[in-house]
Amino acid sequence: MRAFGNHIFVTSLASAVLFFLYAPILVIVIFSFNDSHYTGLPFNGFTLRWYVELFHDRQILTSIWNSVYVGLGVVAISVLFGLPAAIALDRYTFPGKTAFRRIVLLPIVLPGIITGVALLSFYLTVHFRLSLHTIMLGQGTALMCITITEVFARLQQMGKSQTEAAVNLGANEWELFRHVTLPGIASSLFGAMLIAFSISFDEIAVTFLLTGRENTLPMTLWSLLRREVTPEVNAVATLVVLVSVILIVIGMYASRGKNSASYGNH
Amino acid sequence: MTTGIELRDLRKLYDGHGATAWAVDGVNMRIGQGQFVTLLGPSGCGKTTTLRMIAGFETPTSGQILRDGIDITDQPVSDRDMRMVFQDFALFPNMTVAENVAFGLRTRRMKGRFSDAEIRRKVAEHLDLVHLGSHAGKRPHQLSGGQKQRVSLARALVTDPDVVLFDEPLGSLDAHLRKVMQIELIRLHRELNKTFIYVTHDQDEAMAMSDAIAVMNVGKVMQFGTPREIYDRPASRYVASFIGHAHIVDAVVAESRSDGLMVRLGNGEVVSLAQPAKVASGQSVGLMLRAEDLSLARPGEGELHGQVADSLYRGEYIEYVVELTGNAGLVHVHEPTDLPPFAHGAPVALKVNAQKAHVVEA
Ligand SMILES: Nc1ncnc2c1ncn2[C@@H]1O[C@H](COP(=O)(O)OP(=O)(O)O)[C@@H](O)[C@H]1O
Ligand SMILES: [Mg+2]
Repeated sequence: MRAFGNHIFVTSLASAVLFFLYAPILVIVIFSFNDSHYTGLPFNGFTLRWYVELFHDRQILTSIWNSVYVGLGVVAISVLFGLPAAIALDRYTFPGKTAFRRIVLLPIVLPGIITGVALLSFYLTVHFRLSLHTIMLGQGTALMCITITEVFARLQQMGKSQTEAAVNLGANEWELFRHVTLPGIASSLFGAMLIAFSISFDEIAVTFLLTGRENTLPMTLWSLLRREVTPEVNAVATLVVLVSVILIVIGMYASRGKNSASYGNH
Repeated sequence: MTTGIELRDLRKLYDGHGATAWAVDGVNMRIGQGQFVTLLGPSGCGKTTTLRMIAGFETPTSGQILRDGIDITDQPVSDRDMRMVFQDFALFPNMTVAENVAFGLRTRRMKGRFSDAEIRRKVAEHLDLVHLGSHAGKRPHQLSGGQKQRVSLARALVTDPDVVLFDEPLGSLDAHLRKVMQIELIRLHRELNKTFIYVTHDQDEAMAMSDAIAVMNVGKVMQFGTPREIYDRPASRYVASFIGHAHIVDAVVAESRSDGLMVRLGNGEVVSLAQPAKVASGQSVGLMLRAEDLSLARPGEGELHGQVADSLYRGEYIEYVVELTGNAGLVHVHEPTDLPPFAHGAPVALKVNAQKAHVVEA
């Protein structure tokens, strides 16, 4: 601790950062239980009314389902393409491999709005009708890199001797995948799936540009918010925060595996 | 037709990494069925690469690998019926010990060959063979290093391959366990009549276990022979100094006969050897003098003379470092601990065992 010099300064800086990060979220959570039609003081008493109302609102229920549907599709796309890509990256050397690994990471670094605009103009060029599926495709291509990097890191950590041992013992490609590779990467693959799902669930920039007539949950919330911050919106937001936190925590825990110490050299 | 494995002018150049040196540079070798052959050499000399080419994990840049006279250079790994034991054990962590051992029997390729009952029997039999009968239900992470290597050995042997390949299998074990496992491996080799091809950089291990040793250096086989041939009659200065840490003193052939040899050292002293002569008089050579082939005596009672430069108490023996007169060179001598010791700086004579002293190229 001494290395940081001023202990009080560091502590208060950290507290300030945490305050500005989490205080707004805390406010939303608190007011979602407030027995009042307005978001704001005074606090009139505890109620679950807004949660009950939320589950009778067709618009919100539909958009929750739409978000889940998109999220599942995104997970499917990122596994379907990301998993073979990670295995190929681990197993084969080819010219430009390092460059490829960096390019694959680009969607994480690029602002969502850029990815969205690019995909939109592409879809329009090839005359795709905008729908939940175009959102799925857009987010899926962008989030595939999570699967690739997580699984690739695990494969590198596993080393090649288990694979070689299996082949040496006469296993075919499928047996190798089913009995050796998949059990080895299962937890990091699962983690990547959860992370991809929860990012997709909250995503708005790409979705905003690629959406057709149907809306996902963040889009619906946004349109509701343009009128006013109702307690119902607070309730939805609280649920989203809760689900996201749970998914991310499980996802991170799974992808680190049991021995997180040896992990982290991508 | 010859049975066994033959390597013909095998070469490997790794591409990428800007590699320009041959990892394996023209290896020729015949390994008879049932032999225990060791590839021995310092780290980086190409042992692993050679073994991996035999297993099929690496494709040779040129050259051929023959099995019972048939070219298998391009045969896929899983068709080769050779099993590899890896230095890092390469056990499957999600499977129990028994499942690991059964892996090679449960592949699609073996389908219908064995019933479930037969597989269970074979697994049990092979776990007993490596003394792990009571550990069948454990996971690899519950085992010690030595036990893991036994599982890996059982997994390799259970499919009854003709050839078993070992890449420094004892490298990660401590010295005591290494000795125990060496004896186990020799026993298994004797009982099973399989070809063992073994890679190590440990010369004691190679000497103790092998029928034949290939001493390698920078991608080449320097000498291929029985442990005794390699130890007693090293073909080159390199092999002589790598095996048994012999000291080599510069000398000139004074006389070369059909039944022996006389060489003269730089200080004029002469040593006679029983080595059949293939060198001409007047030729410069290196005289290989091993500590156990020399004994100390009082001045005048041996062929060579010198001064005790150092003495080290080793428990089993005393090791003297002797500087030969006239700066002719340094040699080490092992003497029994119960003889009266020679003092530091004392003038001594050295008796040379004419049967064992040996000359190599200068
Ligand atoms: N996969 C590889 N790519 C590039 N060079 C390699 C590779 N494996 C080994 N080498 C090089 O080939 C040479 C021989 O290596 P290796 O066969 O592993 O030697 P040993 O097993 O005797 O230590 C070394 O110089 C090593 O650096
Ligand atoms: Mg090696």
